[in-house]
Amino acid sequence: MIEARKITKFFPVINPQGLAEGITAVLSVSLKVEEGEFVAVVGPTGCGKSTFLEIMAGLQAPTEGEVYIDGKLVLEPLPSTRKEIEIYQRKYRFLSPIANDLWRDIPKSDIAMIFQDYAVFPWMTALENVFFTLTLRRVPKGERSYLARKYLNLVGLSGAENKYPSQLSGGMRQRVALARALSVEPKIILMDEPFAAVDALAREKLNEDLLSIWQSMKKTIVFVTHDINEALYLADRVVVFSPQPGTVRNIIPVNLPRPRKRASREIGELRERIWQIYQYDATGEIIDYVI
Amino acid sequence: MDRKLTYETKGLNLVLKELSAFFTGIAKNNFTVEFFTVFVPIIILWEALPRLGVVPPTLVPPPSVVAETFWDLLVNHDLIGHVGISLLRFFLGLAVAIVTAIPIGILMGWNMFLRRHALPLFQILAPIPSPAWVPITIILLGIGLPMQVFLVFLGVFYPVLFDTYQGVKDTDPRYIASARVFGASELTLIKRVYLPNALSFIVMGVKIGIALGLVMLIVSEMVGAHSGIGWLLVESKDFFRIDRMVACMLTLGFIGWFLIEVMKYIEIKLALWKVGR
Repeated sequence: MIEARKITKFFPVINPQGLAEGITAVLSVSLKVEEGEFVAVVGPTGCGKSTFLEIMAGLQAPTEGEVYIDGKLVLEPLPSTRKEIEIYQRKYRFLSPIANDLWRDIPKSDIAMIFQDYAVFPWMTALENVFFTLTLRRVPKGERSYLARKYLNLVGLSGAENKYPSQLSGGMRQRVALARALSVEPKIILMDEPFAAVDALAREKLNEDLLSIWQSMKKTIVFVTHDINEALYLADRVVVFSPQPGTVRNIIPVNLPRPRKRASREIGELRERIWQIYQYDATGEIIDYVI
Repeated sequence: MDRKLTYETKGLNLVLKELSAFFTGIAKNNFTVEFFTVFVPIIILWEALPRLGVVPPTLVPPPSVVAETFWDLLVNHDLIGHVGISLLRFFLGLAVAIVTAIPIGILMGWNMFLRRHALPLFQILAPIPSPAWVPITIILLGIGLPMQVFLVFLGVFYPVLFDTYQGVKDTDPRYIASARVFGASELTLIKRVYLPNALSFIVMGVKIGIALGLVMLIVSEMVGAHSGIGWLLVESKDFFRIDRMVACMLTLGFIGWFLIEVMKYIEIKLALWKVGR
């Protein structure tokens, strides 16, 4: 179970006039994801949904708020007072707070993350990419090859084991990333616009494969996307983010039986509803605010 | 015993295979028709102009004379010995520089704390032209192997250091994040993410380092040695033997070119994943 409590993320930036300015990327977002749930996060571009996901993964420290995964705090929030800042800086002057350890791998079996791109290492073949995480998990050498092939088969990549990512298509690269994420046997998979760079046809196939993997392996998935259709097709709940600063605008349950039809009336209605929220946030006009 | 023997033949076969691939690669990439259409006229002109008296043959020795002199140097003046001692100095300097510069570059690129401590120092020292170190090095280390090795080291060190640093620093944060999510330690990150990512930068740095190292080798041998190609060059000047000087220069050119070719081959071997792009 993931519990995000009032997550706020604030960035200092330099504006075009050359002055320092603050941007609130995420503002007081609270979200609870139950075990085995498939939650999609949608929102307009630049609304802080990726930042929110990275905070949940422990790759960024929140300015305020805490994330608990199974009751365990992920990262301490950033300091706010001058004294706290000094202590924080002294504590982390050598290693950044998001670093795991200097010498020892600390395999995280609870969480895995898939990025939009740059997710797999281009200097390793598909098989070596999966080996990488298996080595981190300290899987004995003899079992690695068998396990890596098993996960690559699971995502439908048998036959492409010895290819480098540059020789694979965008969709297949994301399949390698998925195999690598599954290979650590995580409870939770966080996906940051994983299929955004994939063409539409391959994306539909990937969506279906992801659903069948999710249904058979009982993972918790948080899926960030800007594609409303994809979110409605996949998720149990769709979290709608407002434009910057990102807050939870609405949480829409999708109580439709699977397998769903992309063109079904119910999905169409929900899409219309989310679209109206977008419209309202962008222009301030209520077009036909029925629901 | 039997098994060991087969293993060794296998190793030898592998070496032979790599060597043949290396030399066919050189031949294919360099000795093309396009190259000869430029190269052959230049050689013909170089041979013809001094012979026809257009330029004085005493100042411009034609290639046939240079070839003769080269053979004479090889047989009568121990050219191989000079090249050998020069290469010894060069490779010692190169090895020391690579062994020190790459780890320091990686550490500076990896860690902000170390970077803030070490980088300004190197940035102040690096702009000092390496030949400017010659006088003080001769006084401190005397004339001999340590001084020559140190000067070659100075030539190679900074390009390798800064290229390694740049390559490690410019690693895409998403690669690092995707490894950290799985719990990779910093050591694993350096070994499996930063280093492979910086590899082509490092090879580029070594290539520049080889060029600058050869410069420093010749400078150090010209002012502080009694053997080696640089010394032979200066001595030829004293005896006004232009043909010998040209032969020495061509030898140096060949050594530099060959080493760069070796580095190119190493780069292809190490960064196989980039070839498909």
